[in-house]
Amino acid sequence: MLVLTRAINDAIMIGDNIEIVVVSVKGDKVRIGIKAPGSVKVFRKEIYEEIREANLAASSGDVPQDALSELGAKLKGGQRRGGGAPESGGE
Amino acid sequence: MKIQTTRFGEIEIPDEHVYLFPAGLLGFPDSIRYGVLDNPGGGPFQWMQSADEPRLAFVICDPRTFLEDYKVAITAEDLSEIDLEDMEAGVVMVILNVPPNDPKKMTANLLGPLVFNPAASKAKQIVLMQGDFSTRHPVFGEDAEGEGA
Repeated sequence: MLVLTRAINDAIMIGDNIEIVVVSVKGDKVRIGIKAPGSVKVFRKEIYEEIREANLAASSGDVPQDALSELGAKLKGGQRRGGGAPESGGE
Repeated sequence: MKIQTTRFGEIEIPDEHVYLFPAGLLGFPDSIRYGVLDNPGGGPFQWMQSADEPRLAFVICDPRTFLEDYKVAITAEDLSEIDLEDMEAGVVMVILNVPPNDPKKMTANLLGPLVFNPAASKAKQIVLMQGDFSTRHPVFGEDAEGEGA
């Protein structure tokens, strides 16, 4: 991993279009500013972890299929049957 | 194609309903092909059954059946990974976490939706930048206890 030492207001460029600025440092907290084109997704790494955990949790249960059918009937388009491919609800 | 499953036994899924997730799902990088089938008992829920791991299956659902104004912002880069040029041609679904003992308390992962490109049979789990979405959105509301919640 590349490690750089930067002071407040110093910046780092990643490629030509992404700029990372050290905005402030207070105790063990660092505020970081990020300028990036709209096509670049920027988020805290915890988001990945959160989604990973949600996937793991959703995959582990032994889902009762009859309960699913009953509950589904309460949702919009709940009476729909058949299809087999992902499709949108009621358009 | 034929898929071996723990839940449904051996099932036959039309090839066009077997989706390639080039990047897998977060936490399951090795399972990249999933067959999509309707819940055998009917209703808006569908199953996404891994073709690579018989035990692995997810319940998925069109989020607009319980959240009409759910809108996702998806980058061109995400779309290009599944050869989708226009979001209009894609289908957004979300993964549900259904507690076996209390299915009514099911939650939906709105932060990491799935986008399907039916024309190419490719799909991807999107990590959204919209931080106000939860990975545990209660499908039937917070107070889903008795009947008619």
